[in-house]
Amino acid sequence: MNKNSVLNMGSYRRIDCIFFSEFHPTLGPKITYQVPEEYISRELFDTVQVYIITKPELQNKLITVTAMEKKLIGCPVCIEHKKYSRNALLFNLGLVCDARTKTCALEPIVKKLSGYLTTLELESGFISNEESKQKLLPILSTLLEELNVTGACTLPIDDSNTIHLKLIEQRKDPLVVQEYDVPVFTKNKDHFTKSQWDLTTQQILPFVDGYRHIQKISAEADVELNLVRIAVQNLLYYEVVTLVSIFQYSNVYCTTPKVQNLIDKKCLQEECIHYVSKLGQRTNLRDVFQLYCGLTPGTTVRDLCSRYSHQLQRVDERKLIQFGLMKGLIRRLQKYPVKVVRDERSRPPRLYTGCHSYDEICCKTGMSYKELDERLENDPNIVVCWK
Amino acid sequence: MRKKTSPISVILVSSGSRGNKLLFRYPFQKVSENTSSATSKQRSPYVLNTSGDSVEDQDGDSRFSDSILATILATKSDMCGKKFELKIDNVRFVGHPTLLQAPHTIQANADTSVINCMHNLSRRIAIALQHEERRCQYLTREAKLMLAVQDEVTTMTETDGTPQSPFRQILPKCKLARDLKEAYDSLCTTGVVRLHINNWLEVSFCLPHKIHRVGGKHIPPEALERSLKAIRPYHALLLLDNEKALLAQLPLDCSPALVRLIKTCSAVKNLQQLAQDADLALLQVFQIAAHLVYWGKAIIIYPLCENNVYMLSPHANICIYSPLAEQFALQFPGHDLPSMLAKFSLPVSLSEFRNPLDAPVHEAQLIQMVVWMLQHRLLFQLHTYVCLLVPPIEEEPGLREEELPLVTRVTGRSLSTPSALSFGSPTSSDDMTLTSPSMDNSSAELQTGGDSPLNKRMTETLLSSLTEHERQAILRVPAAQNPEDLRLFARLLHYFRGHHHLEEIMYNENMRRSQLKTLFDKFRSVLVITNHEDPIISLFQSPPD
Repeated sequence: MNKNSVLNMGSYRRIDCIFFSEFHPTLGPKITYQVPEEYISRELFDTVQVYIITKPELQNKLITVTAMEKKLIGCPVCIEHKKYSRNALLFNLGLVCDARTKTCALEPIVKKLSGYLTTLELESGFISNEESKQKLLPILSTLLEELNVTGACTLPIDDSNTIHLKLIEQRKDPLVVQEYDVPVFTKNKDHFTKSQWDLTTQQILPFVDGYRHIQKISAEADVELNLVRIAVQNLLYYEVVTLVSIFQYSNVYCTTPKVQNLIDKKCLQEECIHYVSKLGQRTNLRDVFQLYCGLTPGTTVRDLCSRYSHQLQRVDERKLIQFGLMKGLIRRLQKYPVKVVRDERSRPPRLYTGCHSYDEICCKTGMSYKELDERLENDPNIVVCWK
Repeated sequence: MRKKTSPISVILVSSGSRGNKLLFRYPFQKVSENTSSATSKQRSPYVLNTSGDSVEDQDGDSRFSDSILATILATKSDMCGKKFELKIDNVRFVGHPTLLQAPHTIQANADTSVINCMHNLSRRIAIALQHEERRCQYLTREAKLMLAVQDEVTTMTETDGTPQSPFRQILPKCKLARDLKEAYDSLCTTGVVRLHINNWLEVSFCLPHKIHRVGGKHIPPEALERSLKAIRPYHALLLLDNEKALLAQLPLDCSPALVRLIKTCSAVKNLQQLAQDADLALLQVFQIAAHLVYWGKAIIIYPLCENNVYMLSPHANICIYSPLAEQFALQFPGHDLPSMLAKFSLPVSLSEFRNPLDAPVHEAQLIQMVVWMLQHRLLFQLHTYVCLLVPPIEEEPGLREEELPLVTRVTGRSLSTPSALSFGSPTSSDDMTLTSPSMDNSSAELQTGGDSPLNKRMTETLLSSLTEHERQAILRVPAAQNPEDLRLFARLLHYFRGHHHLEEIMYNENMRRSQLKTLFDKFRSVLVITNHEDPIISLFQSPPD
């Protein structure tokens, strides 16, 4: 899996221009180099220069200013030393994008670049020396091209310094992983080089089969529960796995509006048929759709199997459920026991509050569903909600 | 941790001939900086609201001294009249510099739509201020006040030696400052802002991100707008507050149409009926309804009736300790919410829910409970969706019970179809001249007679959009021998893609539920039926945070 392929460097995060600006001892703030040439108009620079070559309070801060349909991201640097005219060297290497671009991912790049240039100046006067400063122009060119095309850039500057940059896609924070969640791979497991992952993940990988839940994986792989949780959370973050619920024949599911996607999207149809068909067989769209639509509140998977035995001749019901959950075509209806009547003497309910599902209670207490059912059925003070 | 939709602060900055000044900011910094005491002539002042989200540093912008804020936020004249956006580390400043003023709000790392909304608020305040400035130099006066107080404080500090925030002193003296503070407070809490600039001009604004949330995530305004556009005349408007409370919230000069609508609307009335009863155009009713929904005062539902099927929403909070449970117990003494909700664990229709043997009083209360649960987003309604899916080619042997000759090619306008319909046993085919079909005819029906060539042609045309295989499969269904049934099926074909629910078909085609259900049953070998919530309005049926 190539994480970069996810980035799709198109117009989405395109850098239109890279510039190097500094405070000239006589001319004041100016743009010394920009690629492509003449991109930043005189007018634009005048408007925003106060945010490019800044007062001391704003130095070393990431500043993004939007003006005239453009966004400029920079990090002003100030190096103080007697050797400089006016006792300080002020510069800023920045990027220009379209005003509508989401530029969060570019910020670390800008910060890093300002760090590199600072180091180069302190080590060898790279910028203050007119000759070496000229090397900036081809550097800016290379940066612009490589960042736009591949999202990464490795560029040796001199014998001891190399620039390494990479655009990292920002992702949403993943959900909390519970012990009763089941991780399932969204992409083919074989596509991964095992060595890419940390040791814990490598240890649990064989047990991530789309059926084992976290607690079970922890027990069978002999890895501490929290470590498994964290490893799976990491896999979730990179969208390598998604979470589904434990499969049991007593489970109840129902369709969501997304089930219509199976009708609308041809590629989803193909993927589904391929995924849920039994080995060596091939089911058809009508059978699969009927099966999904046969999942209704009050119907267990067992019921489905007996009612639709014909359709299930060529379909693996576990894979059917798995696919449906992964794509959001169906959702699981969980049972929540609630203790509604109690006298003052009894303790307040801890687990039967309506906040904890059967899955959770069974996982935590070690009871089986059947046992829990038997226990609760005979209690007139408890109602069960499904949602 | 500060939520991403709340501003960090409100700032008012001016820039004029004598330099840049920070006029006001709220919340106050803990220790104030000394500001310069020069007063300036207001030629192009700017107002800024800043808001930001910095996880490490709660006091995001207190790192910025007053003077630096004045400098960075006082933009040049070419930036006037447009959205201004500046991000420094984790703090984002958004605003609308005007030749007079513009409030700015900042939201680092927040949704573009939130930024746009904040900017919208900026702009509205700017416009109001601009108006008042032209009318009576309101802003100039307020600004002078602010600067005067700042000077006072500065001198006091110099003599006393105790640093104070000048802005705290400004508040009691300066109405504009109080308005800005109120805007900030409202944004942070309810997301609804209602100001009266100079006690005269009203600025109202709501942040839909705070009002509309589903399970912790806000509904993006674009999704909201899409849903509002999909409202149909058969939908109903359900107010989230009681009528009196809602009317009390309206401004004095609100439109009488709005008042009429609120007084006339009910959970059992659809929008079309509402328009008639309130004597308003349907379009107007749509607009007012959308407005109420946008402001979080109402939601869209399907009007309450016997056949509506409801189920517990997956987002419903069923915990016995939830505030909802308490409210329910107060509203309906003797009943508890979880028990009531448990009854909706399986989809249940309103008629099933009400026990006909109960006294009428009790029945009415049950309806009220359902309305209450809908208002609090605990229930959603299930609708029936139909999809045409013919059995695949390999399955044909199973269906060949009747000995039917293969139907000849049905092309566009060929009249061969009518005879092809009369295949099979002679008894059924000759009875085709049914006098009146069991269903009402909508205006789309051309003739009442069963077999007229015109009707047959229409049927063919309608069926011609299908593949050959689909057409054959449909025609093989026994019910297809009845031209009335076939014609109806063909006419409704475009609804059978899984995107139109039963009630919509009923409304559009002026048909009864029983008619449709009978048709579905007759053609069940080529249809697949499922029930789920309406994705368009289910947006409104999920609880806020």
